[in-house]
Amino acid sequence: MKKLANLLETKQVSSQEIVEHYLGEITRQEPMLNAFITVDQEGALTQAQAADQRRAENRPLSPWDGIPIAIKDNISTRGLNTTCASRFLANYRPLFDATVVRYLKDAGLPILGKTNLDEFAMGSSTEYSAYGVTCNPHDRSRVSGGSSGGSAAAVAAGEIPWSLGSDTGGSIRQPASFCGVVGLKPTYGWVSRYGLVALAPSLDQIGPLATSVEDTAILFSLLAGADPKDASSAAAQTFEVPAWDERCIKGLKIGVPEEFFGKGLHPEVEQAVRRGLRALEEQGAVLVPISLSTNEYAIDTYLTLVTAEASSSLARYDGVRYGERVGAQDSNTMFAKSRAAGFGPEVKRRIILGTYVLSASHYEAYYEQAQRVRTLIRQDVLEAFRHVDVIITPTTPTAAFRIGAKQSPLEMYLSDLFTAMANLSGIPALSVPCGKDSKGLPLGMQIMGKHFSEALLFRVGHFVEKTVGIRGCCR
Amino acid sequence: MIDRGEVIRMARLARLELSEAEIAQYQMDLTSFLISGEKLQKVDVSRVEGTSHAVPVTHELRKDEVGPSLPQDAVLLAGPKVQDGFFQVPRIVEAQE
Amino acid sequence: MISYDTVIGLEIHVALLTQSKFLCSCKASFGAPPNSQCCPICLGLPGALPLINEKAVEYATKAGIALNCQINHFSRFDRKNYFYPDLPKAYQITQDTFPLCTKGFLEYYVDDRLVKTEITRIHMEEEAGKLIHSGASIVDSEYSLVDYNRAGIPLIEIVTAPDIHHPQQARLFLEQLRLLLSYIGVSDTKMEEGSLRCDANISLKPSGSNVLGTKVEIKNLNSFRALERALEYEERRQSQVLNQGGIIRQESCTWDDRTGKTMPMRSKGDAPDYRIFPEPDLPPLHLDPVWVELIRATIPELPLERLKRFEAEYGLSRYEATFLVNYPDFGELFFALACQCRAYKAIVNLLMGDYARLAREKGHLDPQRLAELLTIVDEGQITQTQAKDVLEDLFSSHLSAREIVQEKGLEVMGDPESLRPILRQVLGANSELVHRFQNGDTKLLGFFVGQVMRVTQGKADPGVVNRLLRDELGK
Ligand SMILES: [Mg+2]
Ligand SMILES: [Zn+2]
Repeated sequence: MKKLANLLETKQVSSQEIVEHYLGEITRQEPMLNAFITVDQEGALTQAQAADQRRAENRPLSPWDGIPIAIKDNISTRGLNTTCASRFLANYRPLFDATVVRYLKDAGLPILGKTNLDEFAMGSSTEYSAYGVTCNPHDRSRVSGGSSGGSAAAVAAGEIPWSLGSDTGGSIRQPASFCGVVGLKPTYGWVSRYGLVALAPSLDQIGPLATSVEDTAILFSLLAGADPKDASSAAAQTFEVPAWDERCIKGLKIGVPEEFFGKGLHPEVEQAVRRGLRALEEQGAVLVPISLSTNEYAIDTYLTLVTAEASSSLARYDGVRYGERVGAQDSNTMFAKSRAAGFGPEVKRRIILGTYVLSASHYEAYYEQAQRVRTLIRQDVLEAFRHVDVIITPTTPTAAFRIGAKQSPLEMYLSDLFTAMANLSGIPALSVPCGKDSKGLPLGMQIMGKHFSEALLFRVGHFVEKTVGIRGCCR
Repeated sequence: MIDRGEVIRMARLARLELSEAEIAQYQMDLTSFLISGEKLQKVDVSRVEGTSHAVPVTHELRKDEVGPSLPQDAVLLAGPKVQDGFFQVPRIVEAQE
Repeated sequence: MISYDTVIGLEIHVALLTQSKFLCSCKASFGAPPNSQCCPICLGLPGALPLINEKAVEYATKAGIALNCQINHFSRFDRKNYFYPDLPKAYQITQDTFPLCTKGFLEYYVDDRLVKTEITRIHMEEEAGKLIHSGASIVDSEYSLVDYNRAGIPLIEIVTAPDIHHPQQARLFLEQLRLLLSYIGVSDTKMEEGSLRCDANISLKPSGSNVLGTKVEIKNLNSFRALERALEYEERRQSQVLNQGGIIRQESCTWDDRTGKTMPMRSKGDAPDYRIFPEPDLPPLHLDPVWVELIRATIPELPLERLKRFEAEYGLSRYEATFLVNYPDFGELFFALACQCRAYKAIVNLLMGDYARLAREKGHLDPQRLAELLTIVDEGQITQTQAKDVLEDLFSSHLSAREIVQEKGLEVMGDPESLRPILRQVLGANSELVHRFQNGDTKLLGFFVGQVMRVTQGKADPGVVNRLLRDELGK
């Protein structure tokens, strides 16, 4: 992105040309990929012209002024449809910008469009979108992952240089891994959630996706910071992109949790990640075998909490103030019919599960229990970081699976097996490509760190990218 | 197997009209979800409190200052049914839950 | 027939007098056009996040301190989930498990007895919107209209222990509570406008028994009278049912002021399942103990303390003291006057008498002007009767009391030599009555005094007239 910024700076290329290039890519590839729900051609070109005007007057808003971006369609954009991939919000136009969208506009980034996702971010394959599945650019018979599948696929296919996603249990990292791009789930609270349509507010975070670690870090620096509109972001500060000076990682202690290399992990994924670990070791990092035994409970804890919070967060879609209403004689029937017509099967399933775990007679056994197990998981993770600087695992147990392959919901939920822990404990986690499998499908490595340790994650990720990268070979 | 009536009760609580097929499907899903979660039940959590917020933050309270509201027409713009500046809803009956 | 003890508990919702709403910065006032004081937060638009109003916490804390509560330095917000058209998010943000205040009490007089009612808890929550029904009532309305201006106004809910023993006591409790809340200035406490609302639980148990009976909840009592009448009705109804061997059904009722009856709403057997869980969008509230002490220091003298002070320091009767406490503006005026004039009884007599009538029509007088009048009377320069005239003039002119006295040529006729001829003239004109007096009808003395006052146009000193009359008649 620095190159692109430099071209803009030196007026060798205009923002309009860049935007037109990506619009061309979108026109060419969308029929195959379906990464976008909405493309705002007119709006993006207008913003690009404004950026060019600012460049001409030598008053760019930021070094990235004029470089376009795409935004996951569960992040509110003022006046631009924000559907959450749901029929219920098919015609919903927010009256306000999400804080991160405001930040991007303040930095001069034209918003090219809204990317596809699983409905209300519930899913791991973008198959649960009311607007069709997003295909994986590396193999169109496979999923792009989810729920930020559109954001990952669009970046991987070169439809957009970078994008925003949201991650509740792995929804940035898993599609990043499937599509061979970089994705960050930031520390909970470092990026404002204001304007992010809630799935599970205690776990949701907005984060960046890009083709390189450096670009991911640059985009993150535009997002991070306290937002007085989000009470849970109060502690955050701004983020400065670290210098990419190939700082050595000698002496860095890398925790390698055995639980993430056991049953269910595809051998080719294991090979790729181990190869990456070896590369790090060769440069002087110390691999420390550790145990994160509570990961055994992560998926069930995550599912209990996410369905519970979602059942409540999605209750507001009742057909009174916005969204699609199905008429009825009385309000309750109107609510029930509107919601039945507006929501897809996965959303309904999670609402039923979440309602169950919160209902009076099950609250203690399920919800309360899961909250307490969450504490144990958090303690387990924090304890590990007393001994290591980062923890490295595969991002996903397998490479991208075939569209339609996962028949049962539980099977689908296992996609988050390695990623949910970071959300449950609020720590940051970066997914970086670390090779391809024998079918040519990208594989990802997950680097987790302590709260607010993103700079370190980028440094390690940058090294992995340089030495292993998507090519998967050392040097 | 979770009782069918339990699924119907949840659907009513959540205001979701379900078809017979959906009820059967979610009855199965709920059952397998609970079976898969059984190991959670066995975890000894007696010594810890629940975590409801991932990162402990102190609460920054908002000053009591009036800010701008949205114009009435903007508020009503997306309303599926509006009348005289209000949102309209059909007859309100007490729920049988 | 068994005799029963009545057990009553109250739940009072109080709208706090903040400028902006509880969780957003919309104006928190009544009377604006519908849906004109709304924003993404109070409309529950997707992605909007709540932010707690500092003043609401301060007012709730203030109420807790005034009600002798323990102020919890840790409290937490929860979501109470239910669908209703007036509830924008389909959940109410409230405090369930960890309320702001617990374990308080309120003392008040029942007849001459000082009683204490325990306050179980006080918590903060948000108000719902307002519904207008197309028909005469909710049940016979084809549709309803929703106005969200009121949605999100801060409330406190005050819950008493079930230790109120009769309907009149419940009313006295609520009156005292209202007075206290208005003293600390946290609410305008207008029951008719809904800024103070009361729900009551009532059950009967056999006299002396420790086991509580089945309770019935009466909702939305919007006046003191309605509270007392509804409880009296329900007390009678329940004792009849029990005496006829029936059982009380646990249910919620509304009170119909017109018919004087309670009407069941729905049976509590299938009470809604609110699926309450911690609100993930709001971090827990940690109050700084120093801050709490600062709030404590702002608590003014409370009604009961003030009542005791009026009695003990100023020698006022319970009746007089109660008047001054119940009308704090009169209480304040009393204090201002008492600094300048030590005739406390005379002050309170003046305030409760003609002054109250005039002040209600025309507003209060400047204490200085009133004090001067009191002094003149106290010094014996004019009589009580003359003082009434002067008071009227004080309200209608800008002159001081002394100037009015001078202008009107008011003086007291206290000189026996000038009074005696008038006296004799009065007695001479009523020789028949003089005869009756002398035969023992001593009540006639007052009549003669009155006659003398009339002839002297109120200038005669009643004391002197009395003495002289006794003298004359005794001859
Ligand atoms: Mg309440
Ligand atoms: Zn508002």
